[in-house]
Amino acid sequence: MRTRSKKKSNPLKWIRLRIIMVGTVLGLCFALMVGRAFQLQVLEGKQLQSRAAVQYEKAFYDRSKRGTIYDRNYAELAVSIDVASICAYPGRICSPKQTASALARALDLEQEYLLEKLLSGKRFVWIKRHADPTEVSPVRELEVDGIDFVTESRRFYPLKSLAAQVIGFCGTDGRGLEGLEFYYDSFLKGRESSRTVLRDALGRGFTAKGPSPEDKPGHNLILTIDKNIQYIAEQALSEGAREFWAKSGMALVIVPGTGAILAMAHVPRFNPNAFGQYEPWLWRNRAITDSFEPGSTFKIFLGAAALESGLCEPISEFYCENGAYRIGKNIVHDVRPYAALSFQDILKYSSNIGAAKVGEKVGPAYLYHKLKEFGLGDRLGIDCPGETRGILLPVGGWSEIDAGAICFGQGVSVSALQLAAAVSALANDGLLMKPYLVQGMTDVHGRVIKSFQPTALRQVISSENAWRLTRMMERIMEKGGTGVRAALRGYKIAGKTGTAQKADPGGGGYAADKYISSFVGFVPAQDPEIVVVVVIDEPRKHPYGGVVAAPVFRRIVEKTLRYLKVPPETDGRAGDALRVSCEAPTMG
Amino acid sequence: MKKRKRHPLMAIWVAFMVVFMAQLLVYTWCRVQYVQTGYEITEATEEQQRLMELHRKLQVEEARLRSPERIMRIARQRGLVMPDSKQVVVIP
Repeated sequence: MRTRSKKKSNPLKWIRLRIIMVGTVLGLCFALMVGRAFQLQVLEGKQLQSRAAVQYEKAFYDRSKRGTIYDRNYAELAVSIDVASICAYPGRICSPKQTASALARALDLEQEYLLEKLLSGKRFVWIKRHADPTEVSPVRELEVDGIDFVTESRRFYPLKSLAAQVIGFCGTDGRGLEGLEFYYDSFLKGRESSRTVLRDALGRGFTAKGPSPEDKPGHNLILTIDKNIQYIAEQALSEGAREFWAKSGMALVIVPGTGAILAMAHVPRFNPNAFGQYEPWLWRNRAITDSFEPGSTFKIFLGAAALESGLCEPISEFYCENGAYRIGKNIVHDVRPYAALSFQDILKYSSNIGAAKVGEKVGPAYLYHKLKEFGLGDRLGIDCPGETRGILLPVGGWSEIDAGAICFGQGVSVSALQLAAAVSALANDGLLMKPYLVQGMTDVHGRVIKSFQPTALRQVISSENAWRLTRMMERIMEKGGTGVRAALRGYKIAGKTGTAQKADPGGGGYAADKYISSFVGFVPAQDPEIVVVVVIDEPRKHPYGGVVAAPVFRRIVEKTLRYLKVPPETDGRAGDALRVSCEAPTMG
Repeated sequence: MKKRKRHPLMAIWVAFMVVFMAQLLVYTWCRVQYVQTGYEITEATEEQQRLMELHRKLQVEEARLRSPERIMRIARQRGLVMPDSKQVVVIP
């Protein structure tokens, strides 16, 4: 009995023992796993996490898109687009010679140049940055290991040379180098941001942590420039410069009441999409950076000073010495000899001797004071780089001939912008406005971040004297005046011609055959909408502003007024008239 | 017939294992969904970027096509000219 029960109990004991043994082993294994998990997750967790992150996380550093530059009607003047750049990892390229040969064929580059890059020993080299899509496709088809493509942002100017000197351009790295691109670089450029992309075992990214590059794009600029008026000015200027074989030219269109610049044209032009192909002097916004002797256009500021001083009236007479007048050791000449001329006729016929006599009556100190008030010899503070002060010597340094020559615009130099701003003051009832090119900034969603309002600088002359001077300037367009070629049917124009000899770069004095021809004016004279300045440098066919610059002024004014839908002041009906509604657009 | 007596711990163990397995499956499903959604988000983001870039390029193309220089050239080719001041009557 006992033996039997022993037999019965032994297997149960054995089973229990085995269960305990297995349980113990499993328990130990479990404890080992828990311990290991504790070690991996808690003790070495941070260190191992960072090691793992290197394998599955990849950080990308991006510069967000540069802001767009728009004209005043939100037409794109400068935009950033994505383009592919071709790069190489030379260490991963098995056959540099064959690769260089294939790339040279696809990209139309020198094989030796490419081979040199591939054998440079560097880890990374650029093959071609900002490549065209037509270049990228054949390189992709080569499927060469070690050749890669990087998406980069490239600045593009869809209207090519239009307003190129104003807008400027960017370098390959996306930084503004000239013009508004340079001046507003800190606002335009997108901020640099980093984002982390998680990669799977195959290296595919599947989520991104951190901000997207679209989160911090640069601000957009809204200019005061109107692309159509800019085109009108550039076309008229090109035609004028071509017709008179001129070296270069500038034209400005400005709203006198606000100082907003509608057009700032230059010839010769350059294409900012390929700025490297042009000479650097063409890149400059010469209307702002360069000064020149204005010649007789300066007489209107003398006129303003004379009227404001109360010493001269439009009908005050001056003896013009029959064409030759000695000032100190120098003799001043008129193009045509005049005996006596009224003050208003001195302006109409542009008599240098008459201007010198008016200047003598006004006195150098008062003249200097008024010229400074017009902003001449000082920077106006326009939002553009490299603005010149021009040259206006302190009155204490004026010699006898300086005091005379300044009255007819020699011995003084101004920029086209200063000239335009000063004439705008006359057209704006004597109130000088600060000229500006940017009217606002918007964010990527088009919300206005900053807006620039017109800024009044100072009242230069009284409203009444501005009006009297305007009447005197209107007479210059009448028969016998120097500005008849600027006259436009249906509109009254107030303007002034200018012809100035250029300083001789080879020595003292003036070059005999180098002139600057100019015309400044505003229209409609009684209620001015625009002020236009035209400056033609070194016209070889004819020197006079009334012949060279005045027709350019007329072409600009005629088309601009039609574009702005400014109705004629006088009735211009004709039998074959084309009826155009005020609402109908005249240009794209 | 002798009724088989079940150990109460066994039932708890089975229930625990069922819950554990279910949780494991749900967790795995969630992880798979997370990764799958991650791929979908990445694809959608890339598509958004591509469409935004296409939109930008189309805007550039539109700006180029609306260039005054191009419009004037086409107008001249078709014999169009700007009306001179004598041909314009302003209708108030």
